[in-house]
Amino acid sequence: MHEWSLACELVRQAETEARRRNALRVHAVKASVGVLTGVVPELLQRAYEMARQGTCLEEAPLEIEVEAIRARCPRCGREVTLHSPALVCPDCSALGLEVLGGDGIFLASLELEVAETAGGNHV
Amino acid sequence: MCETCGCGLPEEAKNHAHEHDHDPGRTHREEAVLYRNLLAANEAQARENRAHLMEHGILAVNLMSSPGTGKTSLIEAVTASLSDQLRVGVIEGDLATDRDAERIRALGLPVWQITTGSTCHLDAAMVHEALHHLPLESIDLLFVENVGNLVCPGLYDLGCHLNGVLLSVTEGDDKVAKYPVIFKYAQFFCITKSDLLPYVSFDAAKPQREARILKGDLKTFSLSAKSREGMGSFLNYLLAERAALTA
Ligand SMILES: Nc1nc2c(ncn2[C@@H]2O[C@H](COP(=O)(O)OP(=O)(O)O)[C@@H](O)[C@H]2O)c(=O)[nH]1
Ligand SMILES: [Mg+2]
Ligand SMILES: [Zn+2]
Ligand SMILES: [Zn+2]
Ligand SMILES: [Zn+2]
Ligand SMILES: [Zn+2]
Repeated sequence: MHEWSLACELVRQAETEARRRNALRVHAVKASVGVLTGVVPELLQRAYEMARQGTCLEEAPLEIEVEAIRARCPRCGREVTLHSPALVCPDCSALGLEVLGGDGIFLASLELEVAETAGGNHV
Repeated sequence: MCETCGCGLPEEAKNHAHEHDHDPGRTHREEAVLYRNLLAANEAQARENRAHLMEHGILAVNLMSSPGTGKTSLIEAVTASLSDQLRVGVIEGDLATDRDAERIRALGLPVWQITTGSTCHLDAAMVHEALHHLPLESIDLLFVENVGNLVCPGLYDLGCHLNGVLLSVTEGDDKVAKYPVIFKYAQFFCITKSDLLPYVSFDAAKPQREARILKGDLKTFSLSAKSREGMGSFLNYLLAERAALTA
């Protein structure tokens, strides 16, 4: 399953980022999965739970948000939202829609425990 | 969580901007909004592969299909017809049968077998590694036979100039609608084993139409590696693409 490779990359990037920010703990990980990637959220979730073993993410649950496809219709010019990967305009049935979003997979955010900077204000 | 300000609360954590004195040694939660592309590393490697292949004047063709659709047979048929015009090399990634690399080697072609283990697709790093093992200065046309799988290879750009999806007439004419993601990077679509059309119920127009729905500019072919029908236009396509690359 390619979900396994993606989970490994997700863990790798999350660890790198947590370390870079001197996080003391990672509370949660959020990923965003576009409908056009064909990635199955349940499989990604399961792969993540294996891939995070022995890392600083062991206590950090993964939340997956599914991103619909955004596309522009070449005929009627409308911007449409699609929840399945068939690229057909729901309004005029035109083909060959231009994809604007929902075709990627991202490490969306991390919730981190970080140290307060000594006595100072922070932003 | 930060007891002083309660900034572990999700809403506040999202807009974590406040001023107050913190004790050293205290900690608090904050949300780091990142939106890092998980395919970025692969895409960067793919761009590098493409540039590297270009320098050598090599047209690289990624073949994607289910196991048994006829990827290896198509490579054999193309080689048989073009061997006096182009020097063919092959990267074998399909482990469905471990005999593929030997079939290619038997033709006297340079071939490198990727041992993908349990993975379900090739990625750009695997192709880069394979390129180190091939005599690039004596290859004009490089086939990359992907892992037999209609889902996963679609996400991974390998840095090939052409990416093709193959579907045999024995697999059923409903597969395009079921596996749309595989067409993401595709430039061409081949219906294979067309010699078997009289024996199966397969409406060749249907998958071709559905594939063009997914990819408006997709080139489509219907051919048989066995009877060679339809091979001519596919060979011309490869020759034209290779000529355009080195022009
Ligand atoms: N009738 C017919 N059989 C074919 C054709 N191409 C491949 N095959 C057969 O289909 C099987 C799988 O072919 P192969 O090239 O190994 O498929 P791959 O797994 O996609 O590489 C083999 O038994 C081939 O002989 C074709 O054009 N016509
Ligand atoms: Mg094969
Ligand atoms: Zn997979
Ligand atoms: Zn429309
Ligand atoms: Zn605070
Ligand atoms: Zn290298």
